[in-house]
Amino acid sequence: MNPIVPSRRDFLKGAAAAAAAGVVPMSLVKLAFADPAQDFTFAYISDAHIQHISGTKFVRNWDRGLIRAVAETNLLTPKPDFVMFGGDLGQLGMKEELDHGAEMLSKLRAPLHCVMGEHDYYLDLGEYWSKLFGPQHYSFDHKGVHFVVLNSILTHDEWTYNRWPSAQERMLQMAGLDNPNGSPFMVGEKQRAWLKADLDKVGKTTPLVVFSHSPLQKLYKGWNFWTDDAEEVQALLAPFEKANVVYGHVHQIQYNQIGNISFNAVMATAWPWPYPNSYAQAQHTMPVLTVPMNRADPFFERDATGWQFIDVHTGRVALKYNLYNNTARTVAWNPATGKPEDTVFQDPAKRVPPQVHY
Amino acid sequence: MKRTLLGLLVAAGLAATAARAADAPAAKPPLGLPPLPIPEDNLQTPEKIALGDKLFDDKRFSSTGQVACATCHDSKKAFTDSPLRTSEGIAKAGRKLTGTRNAPTVVNAAYFETMFWDGRSPSLEDQSQHPFVNPVEMGLKDHQPILKIVRSDPAYVKAFAQVFGKKGAQVTMKEVQQAIGAFERTQVAGNSPFDRYFYAGDTKALTDAQKRGFDLYVNKGRCVSCHRIEQTQALFTDNRFHNVGVGINDIQKDVPELAEAFLQAKASLAQVDVKVLGDKRTSELGRFAVTRDFEGLGAFKTPTLRNVAVTPPYMHDGSLKTLKDVVVHYNNGGVTKEGNPVNDFLSGGIRPLNLTEAEIDDLVSFMEGLTSPEYASLPSGARTEVKP
Amino acid sequence: MKRKIGIALAAAVVLAVVGGIAIQADEFTKKDQERWETEYMSVVQKGRALWTSPKLGTNGVACAQCHPNAANTHPETYPKFQQQLGRVIALREMINWCLQQPLEGKPLALDSPDMVALEAYVAYERRGVALAPGKH
Repeated sequence: MNPIVPSRRDFLKGAAAAAAAGVVPMSLVKLAFADPAQDFTFAYISDAHIQHISGTKFVRNWDRGLIRAVAETNLLTPKPDFVMFGGDLGQLGMKEELDHGAEMLSKLRAPLHCVMGEHDYYLDLGEYWSKLFGPQHYSFDHKGVHFVVLNSILTHDEWTYNRWPSAQERMLQMAGLDNPNGSPFMVGEKQRAWLKADLDKVGKTTPLVVFSHSPLQKLYKGWNFWTDDAEEVQALLAPFEKANVVYGHVHQIQYNQIGNISFNAVMATAWPWPYPNSYAQAQHTMPVLTVPMNRADPFFERDATGWQFIDVHTGRVALKYNLYNNTARTVAWNPATGKPEDTVFQDPAKRVPPQVHY
Repeated sequence: MKRTLLGLLVAAGLAATAARAADAPAAKPPLGLPPLPIPEDNLQTPEKIALGDKLFDDKRFSSTGQVACATCHDSKKAFTDSPLRTSEGIAKAGRKLTGTRNAPTVVNAAYFETMFWDGRSPSLEDQSQHPFVNPVEMGLKDHQPILKIVRSDPAYVKAFAQVFGKKGAQVTMKEVQQAIGAFERTQVAGNSPFDRYFYAGDTKALTDAQKRGFDLYVNKGRCVSCHRIEQTQALFTDNRFHNVGVGINDIQKDVPELAEAFLQAKASLAQVDVKVLGDKRTSELGRFAVTRDFEGLGAFKTPTLRNVAVTPPYMHDGSLKTLKDVVVHYNNGGVTKEGNPVNDFLSGGIRPLNLTEAEIDDLVSFMEGLTSPEYASLPSGARTEVKP
Repeated sequence: MKRKIGIALAAAVVLAVVGGIAIQADEFTKKDQERWETEYMSVVQKGRALWTSPKLGTNGVACAQCHPNAANTHPETYPKFQQQLGRVIALREMINWCLQQPLEGKPLALDSPDMVALEAYVAYERRGVALAPGKH
């Protein structure tokens, strides 16, 4: 029996559904279940991992990821209010890598704010990075929203200052995600004190968005999807009615809700990581809420990578993930359930095979 | 069944076309092809196919009476207008109008999930209506002239009554399109030297150079992921859209302006048809013009490579003259001239290949092995330009 | 001559069986097991070292960058149809694909000790997962 092809009507229905799911990239995400408010967007590019080979040669694959994210961000209409870079601009924190990455980021047509990543930090403890991008933790206000940027990839002083014979060795050790000689990320006492003082000045009904490289949760310690003082940091954010955390490092779609706080991970422009669920030998505490990203086809070097633009909408963030080679996905706050949800795939019955592969 | 069909086709004057024996709808597909997809609402019958063929050849369906589907999809040229770069439609003031895109072959088009280089049409049936009303193709203002003819020309009146049981105003473009679709669906061809080698186990069917080329195709050449070959059949397409750096490279600076203009205009699909064939710069937006998704910027549908050697020139704009030029473009990592900057939206599957001259030649040889026997006598654009 | 050897061998066997030395049946001891397990793990370690090495390809990228702890390699699904190669393949052919494509390097010989080590590491990190051959 020959296979039957769908009629034109089905085809059009499919196209309309795709449009409804937010495929049109150049408008504010229109949320089916939120009230209009003072909307604005900002773009989020993260985890570029610019990797030096030798001389002026860099790993072409990662370069192309950052170039494309920047080019597409520049096509957004209306322009985003600002762009965040979510950390891990370089792979081994080298000056060449940070310079090469900064050069690519300089093509952005909106103001840039940067978050520190461990791949930027552990060679020179962020000295050159700070020359390029400024303070390693800071806050700013924008259109009635309070934004905080944390350096959440610090670790125990002993590991940072005393364990390794050279800066290069220390960086190499931290660079391996699954390296048993690594050390857990943390915000640390000093920075938590700064955070408390900063947040004390902010009204508890003001929407709060915290940018962090590590997840500010405890998801899987083996790959440092982990912040050791997550509970202490969360306690500082909990008093806010609308607290949002946006984090990098994990190179995959993740989202979660803990009390008042929504957590949203961003994609890497460089390469995807597997979900901890797929490592058979270890336990993890990944949020059940997350609908996984599609599994990558490794032939397409941009598959399972991407960038996002984020709507701040009634004080909650909605992320539109722009995924190369894949249908874009939108994870937005659903006031009915009080959690972030994927606007298309949250219902298990609606998931596609690449999402259940894990 | 087969004999009757063959008789009908011969009677309809199709002996000259490259028809082969397996025309009956339920027949086994040619070697190397999967079962033919047939829509549930447009089953194949010999009479419908014959009617479709007649409509396909009818020049009266153009504003000048000079252009039919067969003008750009000539059965004597494997259903293309090779070696034209971009197709020529009706003539105005003595000069033929041209579009922006190279005419794809109808052969094996039945296996595509979308039609046109940018996939703006979901089926053979749907596709057939658009060229009639495109200003640079057949130039009709609407489909009325076609309907007038098929409702009054005695041969058509008889045929539509017989095939669809419809007369007069009951005969609509839907019936016209279904007949054309049914005819096009019969144009399938496999059984190439590659098919005999890989699927029929004939180890002598490919030359040594072609065998080396096959190995490159799957490994170093990085061809197989888009131009799919699978364990029991090969369509040589993944039915997806990729930016491989043709055309868009020339408009890189203009992309933001063009993209924004396109979005503001929010064109319907029919308007997209006119816009992309009417303006070269807009044409280079590719799939983006249809989906308005970043993913589609500069992206075009992976064509089949079956019979590719005899359907030059190549790419959506016909800009690459020979298969060798094509391989060199891919070897350069998505630029035609080595060292040119690649465009920012280049597919992640495209990158420099570091092929040697000999390897490039072997890949070209392999692609020559994809020609079906019925088209084997056509001039080859594999290594030298085919001139008009 | 041959007959002499044959008789000597038979006599040795009888003596061995009577003496309690296991030379006929595969009666390995607990000590043998432990030793062979260590032999195996030495190759797993070698595989791990290769897995994290920037020198397998030509661009400094290591397997572990995309596959920490060999996750998402799904060795239990091989052999399977691999779309990227257009046919049914074994795991080591996909390892070679990765060496050539994302790592921009050269394939290993299918019987090379390094390939065996890589497979040993991948399988070890996936131990306990049921076979699911052909699963995409």
